Amino acid sequence: MIKKKSRTGTKIGLYLVYIVISIFFLYPVLWVLSYSFKTVPELFSVPPKFLPQSLQLDNYRYVIQNTYIVKNIWNSFYIVVLTMLGTLVLALPASYLFSRFRFRLSRQLQFFILIFQMISPIVIAIPLYNYLSRINLVNNHAVLILIYIAISIPMAVLNIKSYLDTIPKEIDEAAIIDGCSHWQILTKIHIPTSISGIISVSLMIMVSLWGQFVVPFILLNDAVKFPVSVGLINLQSSSEAITTHYLAAACILGILPTTLIFLILQKYIVSAMTAGAVKG
Amino acid sequence: MNRKHSKTKAAGAGKPPLLWLVPLAVVLLLIFIYPLLDVIRLSFTNTKIGSLDYNYTIASYKSILTDRNFYYMLRTTVIFVFFSVVFQTLLGLAIAVSVDKGEKLGLRGTVCVRTISLISMVIPGVVIGIIWKMMFDESNSGLLNYMIQKLGFGPVPFLTSPNVALVSATVANVWRGTAQSMILLYCGIKTVSADILEAAMVDGASAWKRLIHITLPSMRNVLAVNIILNLIGTFNTFDMVMSLTGGGPGRSTEVLALSVYNQIFGQLNMGKGSAVAVILIVLNMIMAFIYFRIQQRGEVQ
Repeated sequence: MIKKKSRTGTKIGLYLVYIVISIFFLYPVLWVLSYSFKTVPELFSVPPKFLPQSLQLDNYRYVIQNTYIVKNIWNSFYIVVLTMLGTLVLALPASYLFSRFRFRLSRQLQFFILIFQMISPIVIAIPLYNYLSRINLVNNHAVLILIYIAISIPMAVLNIKSYLDTIPKEIDEAAIIDGCSHWQILTKIHIPTSISGIISVSLMIMVSLWGQFVVPFILLNDAVKFPVSVGLINLQSSSEAITTHYLAAACILGILPTTLIFLILQKYIVSAMTAGAVKG
Repeated sequence: MNRKHSKTKAAGAGKPPLLWLVPLAVVLLLIFIYPLLDVIRLSFTNTKIGSLDYNYTIASYKSILTDRNFYYMLRTTVIFVFFSVVFQTLLGLAIAVSVDKGEKLGLRGTVCVRTISLISMVIPGVVIGIIWKMMFDESNSGLLNYMIQKLGFGPVPFLTSPNVALVSATVANVWRGTAQSMILLYCGIKTVSADILEAAMVDGASAWKRLIHITLPSMRNVLAVNIILNLIGTFNTFDMVMSLTGGGPGRSTEVLALSVYNQIFGQLNMGKGSAVAVILIVLNMIMAFIYFRIQQRGEVQ
């Protein structure tokens, strides 16, 4: 009887904790969402109104027509997709090597690659700006994609390796006896077997690239070419209190794609987040 | 890169196709290694951005070490990083423990709470800064200040008072980074042996004691990984602070990465900015090393 009572107490306590957690994490986002539907008088109403009077879409219409936000979203989208393809082409063979062979310096190389994952991109953006401005390659998406690929490689190589590690070595040996080359083992066996892991890692990388800021901020200066993050900070710097509702609408548009992908494919992203860092 | 072609011992099947590493090595060499070395070289020059004239000197380091602003920036960074990491970890742990407990009791809504607590992970740092700037609106129509005034306190100068602004930036950063702690620690908790926990329960250990003496010690590695990743994330913070405070008021929220940018693009002092960047690189490398060691230890076990 007592046990049952304390259990109910625990449950109520947990629900209270859940409510606090949910408010803390959801409230700021909902507040911006609410801003994005507000009119100017509502922006300045005292006391602040949590809910907008109506779900009017004028603010969205305004930012779509008068800012580059849609263009910025498109830029981010295609840059991220191309980066991911390029990253996989470079990372998959490397993951296979690190997973399947013990060659000299293999560990040191992996550590080397790991360092690049930890280094702030601002550090490399500075000298790169220096070179690129000399040879007139700032404002160039192809260069940006190449840099994004370099930034994504460490995460891709090390995480995909940990997925390939789970494929039994016996399978490789059998394939070699059957006359398969390493390339065939990689493309015909390893990639299909660990495809859900590869997709998970790719999603995680794409989500983080979506928010990438410092590299394009330094290497681009043409508003039409900006990806989402830079587009938004550009909009913020030109916006004032009286245009906060427009900025809010642009922000909501900017986070919509990744948020939707996250809500739908949560399972994959979460598994990739943890696979790399938590072992056994 | 001739070491790639050095003698190799294959434990797997046949000779490793090391040529496969060449494209990757070229990209890393071009985009990472060369620029990194160049930053170190530039930190020993007096060059300006885009300029080709310079002399080699250690003036940048000298001027950093005698610059009061530099120590002020370090203090800001240390406060920002320390409190961010502490609260990200504690909050992440609290959420992980409560969600795990709820799952064990078969509560409804645990998936929902878990998802909500991860939402900040998919929001770009710039947007997080903008969101919190709206939360910290100091006018009468600002939400937080309205609620605080309702509770009978004066309006809080969230982003206009230097000290408060640093607290505000830290709060926003905790909001941003807790998700990562939460998901790592949540997975860590799942690996704690249920048998040992049950045995402790039979022996009459309270929930708190089980957490302190069993759950946390068996999650050492995950906790360490989590702290390192939080440290790196926070040391490298640039975007969120940029849109939240821009480093101000004054220089009260100018953290390390932002300082690198301001030195180079604000004060056009490439040498000094590079020297600050070298400090950031060293910090990053130390943490990468610790992270690598923890992972190796995990593999050995």
